[in-house]
Amino acid sequence: MSESPAGKVLYVDYSTCIGCETCETVCGFLHDAPRIHMTRTRDGVLVPLYCRHCEKAHCIRACHRGALARDRDGAVVLQPMLCRGCETRECTQSCPYAAMVLTNKGVAVRKCDMCSERRAIGLGPACAAMCPTGAIRFLDRCELACAETEAAKDAEKRVLAHLRPSANK
Amino acid sequence: MSSSDTMHFAFVRPDPLPPNGRSVAIVGAGPSGLAAAGYLASLGYEVDIYDKLPKAGGLMTFGIPSQRIPPARIQAGVLELERKYGVNFHLQTKICCSAPLHEEEGDHFSCDIRGLGELVEDHDAVIICTGSWKSRALNIPGEHLSGVYTSLQFLFPIRAAGYGKPGVTAPAVQGLDVVVIGAGHSAADVAHSALRLGARSVSICYRKTRRDAPCGLFEIDQLEAAGARFLEQHTPVRFDGEGSLAGLVCRVPHQEELVYIPAQAAATAIGEIPTPPFAKELGLENVRKGDVKWLNMTAIENVFVAGDVLTGPSKIGKAIESGLKAARSLANWLDLKAQSRQAEFQDEERVPRPSPRTSPH
Ligand SMILES: Cc1cc2nc3c(=O)[nH]c(=O)nc-3n(C[C@H](O)[C@H](O)[C@H](O)COP(=O)(O)OP(=O)(O)OC[C@H]3O[C@@H](n4cnc5c(N)ncnc54)[C@H](O)[C@@H]3O)c2cc1C
Ligand code: SF4
Ligand code: SF4
Repeated sequence: MSESPAGKVLYVDYSTCIGCETCETVCGFLHDAPRIHMTRTRDGVLVPLYCRHCEKAHCIRACHRGALARDRDGAVVLQPMLCRGCETRECTQSCPYAAMVLTNKGVAVRKCDMCSERRAIGLGPACAAMCPTGAIRFLDRCELACAETEAAKDAEKRVLAHLRPSANK
Repeated sequence: MSSSDTMHFAFVRPDPLPPNGRSVAIVGAGPSGLAAAGYLASLGYEVDIYDKLPKAGGLMTFGIPSQRIPPARIQAGVLELERKYGVNFHLQTKICCSAPLHEEEGDHFSCDIRGLGELVEDHDAVIICTGSWKSRALNIPGEHLSGVYTSLQFLFPIRAAGYGKPGVTAPAVQGLDVVVIGAGHSAADVAHSALRLGARSVSICYRKTRRDAPCGLFEIDQLEAAGARFLEQHTPVRFDGEGSLAGLVCRVPHQEELVYIPAQAAATAIGEIPTPPFAKELGLENVRKGDVKWLNMTAIENVFVAGDVLTGPSKIGKAIESGLKAARSLANWLDLKAQSRQAEFQDEERVPRPSPRTSPH
């Protein structure tokens, strides 16, 4: 399947997020273990790290077994059938947003699939449905640019500086 | 209303299943109660939800400042529960027992009082989601001087005044020097609110260092940028004043002399404690320890409990998770009970305790 810029994405506006953990707990409630993870930045701000379902996804290229693929809505999804048993877990290293996590249950890693089963029956991602502030949204990829306010970009920069201290400009 | 402007408490299903003939009462319409209501209503339960306050949302509506949490999004979610999922809201109705009541913030709003026993009889099951509203005391002299508030005494009227109750006004701190004690999210919320209400100065006293502050360094920077003063390693010793507050006396490390901070208003924001109706009868201590047959079930068989009333002050996300799990546990229990198979229930999970890493207070 070719990687197209169309489709949907998940977007967190870190400037309006209050770090309440609802996205993480709701995701965990539905999927046994969460696929979006709270982290505390060095500034002491609590924010969720999440999968961006990147247009050019590093993880898709990193996985030699083709276990990561793009579905018809543009979500990068893990196919446990192919993933099972991999020991290198290169996908987790390759993700610039620390969105893929190792797990000791079932397959080696887990990741957000934008609530694949929910999308199949016409529902959106659960985290976006329950976020009290509306900071996390399910958008068309083309809406992304409008969603990124100056405040959101600033806040995102602070989160990324925490994730990649060395790349700090 | 577009879906992005609504908190979808009934997110598990696109629409409710047909009525299943069972009814559940939920006491408390905070995040845990609303999440439990959404889950059960989706499955076809008849849900009655009671709250002593005139609006649903709990601390999302009456504690956390509206600058941080959009009230319209919460209320749209409540409306969706009511209209689309048939949840019956009974607001301004306090549920209690016959014993003398403790007083908490917000009691003066309730008009109707009903007994828990009545609810237990009228429904197949009940979930208690009454939160954690009694503020912890500092236990230093002068705490009862006028001008000394707890964080909820300070914040609650600001939100409540907006809901059109005569007689409720925001704390009059305009032109005053305000001191806030604590460095959690409530403390930050009080400090921001005091600045917005026109305080002449706002000082935040914290007994540990900036780095230890639960609200985080970024928040402190923001408070300072907004005009507040952050005083680290200041341990309150006593409130000073005759009748009304004049200042706060603090101890600082490596210094014999005590520090005096002039203040005509003060707010203590050092956390809340749970105030469940029927705490003893429900055997909450055992539920907290996970010492129960069924996840989130209390000593009374068909009464469940969820949210901050169980765990102590936590976070919206934790409260929601607790409400969802209690609702799922309750539904499983009723399913098995209907077939007289309760003994088959396997409880693999312990009730989660709030972790210090994420506790906001
Ligand atoms: C100032 C402040 C700031 C906060 N900031 C954040 C934050 O930024 N992020 C975050 O995640 N969390 C925050 N929290 C914590 C969060 O608000 C709570 O953890 C959460 O609301 C708990 O949900 P709950 O449903 O258990 O209880 P609550 O939200 O407390 O709701 C309980 C409800 O029960 C009702 N009730 C109580 N007793 C009775 C009775 N006897 N009869 C009828 N109704 C009753 C109350 O009126 C209330 O509506 C903050 C808390 C405070 C105080
Ligand atoms: S639910 Fe929303 S506000 Fe809460 S942590 Fe997640 S993105 Fe932030
Ligand atoms: S979209 Fe679904 S799977 Fe992805 S983080 Fe949100 S709740 Fe979890």
